[in-house]
Amino acid sequence: MERRKFLGMGAGLLAVAAATPSAVFATNYREKLPKVWKIKNDEKAKGEDMKGVNEAIKAIFGSDKVEEGKIKLKAPDIAENGAVVPVTFQAEGAKKIALMQTADPEAVVAIFDVPERGIPNYSVRIKMQQTGHVVVVAEIDGKLYKADKVVKVTVGGCGG
Amino acid sequence: MRIKAKSKGDKTEVKVMMKHPMLSYREAKKKGKEANFIVYVTAKNEGALVYEVSTSQFLSKNPYMKFYFKGGKKGEEVEITWVDLKGKTKTGKAKIK
Repeated sequence: MERRKFLGMGAGLLAVAAATPSAVFATNYREKLPKVWKIKNDEKAKGEDMKGVNEAIKAIFGSDKVEEGKIKLKAPDIAENGAVVPVTFQAEGAKKIALMQTADPEAVVAIFDVPERGIPNYSVRIKMQQTGHVVVVAEIDGKLYKADKVVKVTVGGCGG
Repeated sequence: MRIKAKSKGDKTEVKVMMKHPMLSYREAKKKGKEANFIVYVTAKNEGALVYEVSTSQFLSKNPYMKFYFKGGKKGEEVEITWVDLKGKTKTGKAKIK
């Protein structure tokens, strides 16, 4: 093929790719799963009640069958200020990730959808009213993986 | 909001500090105010969606987030939008350095 024609073809393909929106499947989970945000933790269980988290996993992912592994979760062993607890997690290949905890009145903190150009490596700062588990569940190749870290909170930060 | 977007080879690192009181229901009740907190955050790079999260009242006040996306070149724009419980939205932009 003539060089000029070949280059012309490339430009045409690029134009099509640029015009295709990659925001087609944006999901606002407050609208899509309004009830999941109300799933409660038993606050009297001192952060040891996993029922809320497990119920949330089922509601978000459609299953509560989780395996360990594939997620790197970083959170402090001890948080002096429960109002600002830094949490970082990575899950290569994840398409959806849920961040939950057992320390606050409700279990779900955030639900991430990973867009095509997104990289599942996130850092946020959360509130923890008391000592509890920070739990991350990621959907990778149709399977669910879980990571769990206990964070000791010396001064609670949820207005409680 | 304050946004720092840095090119890191074949990916871009973004740090954002959004300004919002993030009043949980419990905190709001204590203060005699209405609960309000950011519920949805997205980021785009030159029109393409690169970050998306639905959030709860348990993110810290003035939420800080760090994330990465594939691609992105110096000089290109990163645009971040948040929506809160009351429906207010705010958008910030920054150029990738």
